[in-house]
Amino acid sequence: MSRRVAQIVCAVFGVLMFLLFFSGHPTAKAITLAITTQYWQVIAAFALIVGAVSFVRVNVKAIQRRQDIPFRAIGLLGMISMPVLAIGWGIGGSSPFLWVFENIQAPMQSTVFALLAFFVASASLRGFRARSIPAAILLVSAVVMLLSRSWFESTTSSFLLTASDWLRNYPSMAARRAILIGIGLGSLTTSLRLIVGIERTWLGGSR
Amino acid sequence: MKKLESRHWAFLGLAIVVIGTMLLNLEPDLDVSPDTIRMHAFIDSLPAGSIILVSFDHEASALPEIKPLATAFLRHAFGKGLRPVGIALMAEGTAVGYRLMEQVAAEYHKQYGIDYAFLGYQPQYIAAILSLGESVKQTFPRDYVGHPYDSLPLLREVHKLSDFGAVISIADGNMVTHWVEYGRARFNVTVAAFVTAVMVTSYDPYVSSGQLRAMVGGLRGAAEYEKLIGIGGAGRRGMLAQAASHLYVLALILVGNVIYFTTRSRKGRG
Repeated sequence: MSRRVAQIVCAVFGVLMFLLFFSGHPTAKAITLAITTQYWQVIAAFALIVGAVSFVRVNVKAIQRRQDIPFRAIGLLGMISMPVLAIGWGIGGSSPFLWVFENIQAPMQSTVFALLAFFVASASLRGFRARSIPAAILLVSAVVMLLSRSWFESTTSSFLLTASDWLRNYPSMAARRAILIGIGLGSLTTSLRLIVGIERTWLGGSR
Repeated sequence: MKKLESRHWAFLGLAIVVIGTMLLNLEPDLDVSPDTIRMHAFIDSLPAGSIILVSFDHEASALPEIKPLATAFLRHAFGKGLRPVGIALMAEGTAVGYRLMEQVAAEYHKQYGIDYAFLGYQPQYIAAILSLGESVKQTFPRDYVGHPYDSLPLLREVHKLSDFGAVISIADGNMVTHWVEYGRARFNVTVAAFVTAVMVTSYDPYVSSGQLRAMVGGLRGAAEYEKLIGIGGAGRRGMLAQAASHLYVLALILVGNVIYFTTRSRKGRG
């Protein structure tokens, strides 16, 4: 019974949101505003609570089992301290919240992301090889793109620029368009299957 | 001590190349690409006093690329007399956007609430865009630091998304797609984007179709934009390091392939 109710709610809201998107009627606009500014945000807030509770439970259990205590303690400390700083001292220009974000969180995230460059270097040496014709085409394309983005004024070969523009405007864009159209059709099909109740895996059961 | 493997030498080489070129602190001159010229011309074409929505749709991890792009764009916008209203559709973009707008506005002696404003973060990006299309005030009843919406004179001039001269998304992911799909398609607002280099090819079809008015990508795009506005910045400072690391990667590819083909021919003969 509860699954049937969930399915009906899904179908009703699916059809409703679809119709609202194309309607310019004031009532439709008011309903859209209510759904997007209130209901949708309430759902997001509950999802956040679920995430936060899950994070705390997993880490507290791991600490009780004495696994990776320093890392998990720092994780929990970070999660607790940021809301405390924001609520206690605000989030404005000279607040401790913004200081921690700018001087701890942002540099750490940028550092982790920058490590990708080292993986690229390693992959370039050990993995990026012209083992087959498709691999060779990919390799040559990558070389052309890299060179065209690396040269400076008066040293850039016009052939390189023309070649990199051609790669972007024809093979790359054609592939991207095909992917976008595929995603669009896939999303449409999945949405319809959800609305009419053919797709039921999200309810936790079989198809 | 553990013996160094080939990948460790590759890592060490990259670190030396990047640090060495950054220490040189050179700002090489660049050719400006048509993409960057298009964006610059578009921002230039907006009348002084236009209110634009600047959406910081990125995470902190993309800052080395995003910050030079956003700074160059904001300098151009403030210099032109545009009035940006900032928002963030990703949580980490909030603090970055607020700080950047505050810093660049100070360079041009702009006043908060009159010349610019920052509304903060709204979760559920699709819902946020749809909601902005109907009412900016109901989507953001208060600004980032808690001022009521109507207390800021600038905000009293905008009611919904279509009141903005343009939406500029500063993004490191697929958020620009949502601005095109919902902001552009549903509310007919002009959308342009500053994105990380890796996202450029993802948005080429939208630029080609005209759904995305203009796009500038990556550190190179930032350096080119800095050249167009005539103010140096982190984009041009980082270009030598980026170019050198690209060439280093190319050298590694070359070495790897030479080793591969030499080994294969030896095995073939053996």
